[in-house]
Amino acid sequence: MEKFRVLIVDDEDDFRETIVKRLRARKLEVEGVESGEAALKAVEAQDFDVVVLDVRMPGLDGIETLKELKKKKPLTEVIMLTGHASVESGIQGMQLGAFDYVMKPVPLDELLDKMRQAYERKCLQEGII
Amino acid sequence: MGGKKSPLQVTAARLWQWPFLPAVVMATAGVLLDWWGRPGLGLIFLGVAVWSGLVVNHLRTQLAQAEKPRLLMEERLLQTQKLAALGEMAAGISHEINNPLAIIRQEAEWLEELLKVARFQDASQLGEFRDSLGEIIRQVERAREVTSKVLDLARERRAVIQKLDLNRLLEDMARLVEEEARKRQIIIKRNFAENLPPLESDGPLLRQALLNLLLNALQAIKTEGGEITLTTTWVDPDHVKIAVRDTGEGMAADIRAKIFLPFFTTKPPGQGTGLGLAITQTIIHKLGGTITVASAPQQGSTFTIMLPLLWEEQEELP
Repeated sequence: MEKFRVLIVDDEDDFRETIVKRLRARKLEVEGVESGEAALKAVEAQDFDVVVLDVRMPGLDGIETLKELKKKKPLTEVIMLTGHASVESGIQGMQLGAFDYVMKPVPLDELLDKMRQAYERKCLQEGII
Repeated sequence: MGGKKSPLQVTAARLWQWPFLPAVVMATAGVLLDWWGRPGLGLIFLGVAVWSGLVVNHLRTQLAQAEKPRLLMEERLLQTQKLAALGEMAAGISHEINNPLAIIRQEAEWLEELLKVARFQDASQLGEFRDSLGEIIRQVERAREVTSKVLDLARERRAVIQKLDLNRLLEDMARLVEEEARKRQIIIKRNFAENLPPLESDGPLLRQALLNLLLNALQAIKTEGGEITLTTTWVDPDHVKIAVRDTGEGMAADIRAKIFLPFFTTKPPGQGTGLGLAITQTIIHKLGGTITVASAPQQGSTFTIMLPLLWEEQEELP
């Protein structure tokens, strides 16, 4: 179950590009997009197992994107990425079906761990395992 | 009940109700016999009378005690059924309300668009118009928040079970609220059990439940400064305990009794839907656990969750 497809959604180019590079180095299939709108287009065009979604973005924010994404792909697991702690957005995100919340900066191994768990959950939901 | 009863049944029921009645009768007989010069017989009568009364009385208390847990169970089941029926109704209403809300919002946004090209004789009118529209959208959002929480409460949740590191999960959620806590000089203390075995549970559901408790603890502390203590304990081979304690204002028994009821809130209107703890309880029950609260005014509150370490499919309540 090592090989799964990940979409990174973050408006900070430096952060996104680096993390995409590092995850690719770990042999994951990774794409990066810079906005919620682009993320919704990407999941329409291609299947992703796990989406890592920044909470604060211009345009469609993380919560709105999560809402739309779950409507389109209820089984895709979403990990919310947040630079600032916010209980309210956390509760909202969990209520809307986010898999987990991760605070920036996050060690890559920790994020990878969570992505694996999220992927495992998706497989369980689909009845693959 | 109803129906005709035989005289025997009536007598038995009477005896049951007044266990000392035969004793009184026999005692009277005993005293009379005594009076007639048969002291020995009178004493025996008296003895038998008192003894039989004691036996029946004892049986009665024993039976009442045996009844108690059954009654409690029935009460709980009734409560759950009532809540389920209410939830279904509330969810239905929420759906119906969501549609007009979406239209109101849509129209208000359309008016905002029109406003961009509209002309007013007095410039201040434009501002007022815009404020008013903004308020309509804000209030629609407020109503939407309520309906979405009601739907969340009534939503059928199928737990997806994975092996979880409970301490880490709780730590993640604590970090999420930490900044807000720090702003108000509230310290979050961790008191995590070492060597906790992995917990078989549903991560997102548990996170949601714990986050609700953390938010609740933060809101219970009304003053600057205070403490929230998070404790995990491996209580026995099969169970873990999670405790969230706050040094907030606490609550009296009458409030404590209602705290898990949907829509019960002590917050001013518009600041809480009163669904957070109801959702938390629903989730914990779904996960096969229990949640309790201990609290007293000015003594803070402690919410305690007990969870089974190993997952067992829960029986669905009707």
